[in-house]
Amino acid sequence: MLRFLLSLVLGGVLGLGVGLYLGWVQFPVEFVNSPISALDPRYRDDYTVMVAQGFQADADGVGAVQRLRVLGVENVPEYVFQQAERYITNSRSPQEIQALIALSEGLGRTSPLFDPYRPVGAP
Amino acid sequence: MTAAPERSAPPRSSRYYRPRRPISLAVLLVGFVLGVAGGLYTAWELAPVEEVDTAPWQLSRQGQAEYIVAVMLAYSQDSDLSRAVTRLLELRVPDPIQHVAEVACDLARTGYVAEPGGDRAIRAMMNFYQLQGRTGCADQLMPGVPEPSPTFDLVIAATPTLPPPPTKTNTPEGFIDGPTATPTVRVAPTVAPQQRFTVVRLERFCDADFAATMEVYVQETGGTPLPGQRVRVRWNDGESIFITGVKPGRGRDYADFTMEPDISYTVDMPGLSDPSDVMISSGCFDATGEQTRASYRVVFRPSF
Repeated sequence: MLRFLLSLVLGGVLGLGVGLYLGWVQFPVEFVNSPISALDPRYRDDYTVMVAQGFQADADGVGAVQRLRVLGVENVPEYVFQQAERYITNSRSPQEIQALIALSEGLGRTSPLFDPYRPVGAP
Repeated sequence: MTAAPERSAPPRSSRYYRPRRPISLAVLLVGFVLGVAGGLYTAWELAPVEEVDTAPWQLSRQGQAEYIVAVMLAYSQDSDLSRAVTRLLELRVPDPIQHVAEVACDLARTGYVAEPGGDRAIRAMMNFYQLQGRTGCADQLMPGVPEPSPTFDLVIAATPTLPPPPTKTNTPEGFIDGPTATPTVRVAPTVAPQQRFTVVRLERFCDADFAATMEVYVQETGGTPLPGQRVRVRWNDGESIFITGVKPGRGRDYADFTMEPDISYTVDMPGLSDPSDVMISSGCFDATGEQTRASYRVVFRPSF
């Protein structure tokens, strides 16, 4: 009987390890039908930049806020402002920074950090 | 008396002569199979990996539509086709451009077109896929872009100007007596009409479910909701601007702001109203006797 139990437990432990490895690493659950609020931060940033570029084109602040609300952001102006500052700090693309600055200022948030990125008017 | 028959000894290769293994391979295998099954059940059902790095292709249909709208708006600004297609490829659909046409069709069929910026977003999508030679049902559902209004025959600016000097060219007499066509006169306003608002209601209330919340409503005179209005909250060292109507569940005239304790706030509509009286979210007890922090309800309406 002891031999039986020992074999069963040993096999079970080995099998459990293999099963967990397969289920968590090799073939993990892939989520679909996720809300846009669950986007990876990289895609969230990209999404925000795209919305900001849209704002540059149409100056529709309400539409931009509504599109960013779906990310589950409580304070959209603050969220955009912080991403703009982060993009400046990380020296991201000037076009993306300008788009974020335009949206941030359109929503009432500005910063001295934004000054170098404002378009320079023709003399 | 006969002797019992002597049993023959098993051969030397018999398993009876081999030392017994401490484990049974058959049972070990059964345990292994059970373990794998248990492990997979645990990993897929009981404790699946957490969703932390969702990619666009994993989004719901609605989420993908929102993503596509953003891609199209960006494309309408930068006209970077390569970048737009690269972003669309994240959706892992066989034909991303035709997929845009299908999503535009879906959106055009729904009330999305009536949402802020919805019309423009669908047109941006149509522009994108039409330039790539694709078609979709949105082409029929969305009416054409309205033509610009006819040019004015005469525009009188608000700025007064001196009457032109009389022409030195002689005018034929017959022309003076004859009938003359009266030009259509339209006056183009030089300044958009500005509607001033005032606080018609400011009340303090105490509700634990809506603690320390400044609820702001902007309405027409008759109470019709006014979405998209900028509202500004100010305190001693800062301010925040937000917009009405972004929480459709609370009304198209609604916006709110979370108040910090014991800070004085005023609210106004930038350029359109004077600041309200000071509001402070101090402690209070609601109707159930629960201790919470006070909230405020502010209603702006046109002042005339």
